[in-house]
Amino acid sequence: MDAALVAIWVLRLLFLAMLYAFLYFVVRALVRDLRSAAREPTVELGRLVVVACPSGEPPPGSTFALDAITSLGRDVNNSIVLEDEFVSANHAALTYRGRAWYVEDLGSTNGTFVNGGQVDGLSPIAFGDEIQIGQIRLRLERARP
Amino acid sequence: MSSVARAPAGIRLDGRPDRLRIRPRFRGRELGLLVVDALALYIGAISLGATERFRDALANGSNGPINLASPAEPGLLLTYIAALFAVHAVFVLAGRRTDQLLLPAVGLLGGIGLLLMIRLPQSLAGNLGGLAQTQLVWLLIGLGIVTILGVAVRNDVWLRRYKYTWAAVGVGLLLLTFVFGNDVNGARLTLSLGPVSGQPSELLKVILVIFLAGYLSENRPLLVDESTRIGPIRLPPLPYLAPMVAMWAIALGIVIVQRDLGAALLFFAVFLLLLYVSTARVSFVVLGLAAFVVGAVVLYFLFGHVRTRVDVWLDPFADPAGTGYQIVQALHAFARGGLIGTGLGAGLPTVAGRPPIPALHTDFPFAALGEELGLVGILAILGLYLVLVQRGLRIASAAQDEFRAILAAGLSLVIGVQAFIIAGGNLKLIPLTGITLPFISYGGSSLLANSVIVGLLIALSERAREPLPPPRRPGRLRRLLDRGAA
Repeated sequence: MDAALVAIWVLRLLFLAMLYAFLYFVVRALVRDLRSAAREPTVELGRLVVVACPSGEPPPGSTFALDAITSLGRDVNNSIVLEDEFVSANHAALTYRGRAWYVEDLGSTNGTFVNGGQVDGLSPIAFGDEIQIGQIRLRLERARP
Repeated sequence: MSSVARAPAGIRLDGRPDRLRIRPRFRGRELGLLVVDALALYIGAISLGATERFRDALANGSNGPINLASPAEPGLLLTYIAALFAVHAVFVLAGRRTDQLLLPAVGLLGGIGLLLMIRLPQSLAGNLGGLAQTQLVWLLIGLGIVTILGVAVRNDVWLRRYKYTWAAVGVGLLLLTFVFGNDVNGARLTLSLGPVSGQPSELLKVILVIFLAGYLSENRPLLVDESTRIGPIRLPPLPYLAPMVAMWAIALGIVIVQRDLGAALLFFAVFLLLLYVSTARVSFVVLGLAAFVVGAVVLYFLFGHVRTRVDVWLDPFADPAGTGYQIVQALHAFARGGLIGTGLGAGLPTVAGRPPIPALHTDFPFAALGEELGLVGILAILGLYLVLVQRGLRIASAAQDEFRAILAAGLSLVIGVQAFIIAGGNLKLIPLTGITLPFISYGGSSLLANSVIVGLLIALSERAREPLPPPRRPGRLRRLLDRGAA
């Protein structure tokens, strides 16, 4: 009977050890995942994805990484240059202020629209919202970690 | 404007890959962890079988050799392990780049639950030939749901667009339970439709998270805005506080009408957490906690069942044979377990064929595991829940937009908060409430709702917009068919 008792005791401990072995492997995978995520520098605060662009430049599906202040317009000095005859030279600006993104119309001729509604001055904007500038539609998305 | 829009190769104008090409993708991490799962569960079953046979031999006074190497109920356990590997195989064939840690972690929790059900007296519950068999059937259906959601859900528009419809469905379910629910142990939780009966509050928690994710992601900029001031407290515009008040009222209603303290606590805690996750405002949490305290005090003085729960929590030994019975037995179980436990199958001597704690298989599995696996074992189980929450929050931080981020965070926090509420209740850390320990407790509604959560999390974890696979020569089968046709 003593040998059986020892065997049962060993089995008990082995089961607990297996639970911890599983946790060890999972945690190792978690740490590796977090390390690899931390290695990639994420300076961008968000990104703009081109949804539709009649002129084909920039092509739909392409993305722009955003800084805290990004200006959009036809003028070559803008951070993002949009070639479209309905876009003003200095059309709009996207700014990141502490917690949220804001879009501002810089007095453009044809206006700036968020989800179909025209922007009047400074207006908050969320990830997933669609901005229309001229005939170009852009979507704000979170930066990839 | 005559120029035709050019799109990068493989991307259609709406940004989606032009062809859905399914190619198997090796999931090494998941496979390795599932092998560890299978080994752990098999050793657990051997340990359980040996202990049971030894106990029987001791009771019969026989001195013959005992078979120590064969597991208890090998059929049930092997079916479950095979099902886990089948889910893995389907995920590999589907070829999505989804999370590889969720399935093994959930699989181990479900397997531990199955071992516990095998070990308990089979007559406790279940109408499919005993406790363990019924639990296995629910586990298999749950794994089926995880597979279907994890493979098929690629688009979240149906969740996002119809958030008010979802909310209406949820409130409808709640009202149906209020009116037509059956009273079990003084709580009105179960809804029966012909032969099918279930607990709608389990499904409701998923619906609640979907609605909150839709509402908060849409109105976040407005909630962050501070236009109302009451003294030193700055609040968002008052109309946007309405859902917060409604949430509080629903939680109170659940307590008063349904007498379901656990679900109310779970809903309110998840609501406050999501509010904090989406706005990063501590003031909301403080306000919500203040409302919670006010509501709790009022309920304590108005309703007997709330008062009983709190009094039992404060001093279970005041009436150890009556209202405090469950808690006292659970505390003794933890004490018997000690550091490494009595071993699977060696705890909880049954009294007249039933374990000493009523509702052990639904409300007190944590106490049973605490006795048989000890502090070391339940710490490992709590660690598994932490892994689930960490994965959910990681999926949230990598999500493409706010709806997906809040949804992933909310779904994983539901599991974490629920595990905390029931484990804390078993340990007399907080008042005991009758909710289930996710993936371990016996019960169909709970397993199915939690499977929906895991399936959605796996679907949400896909790292989208992956580089398209390089063009490939037609497969051998294709070439053979072409040759045959020629």
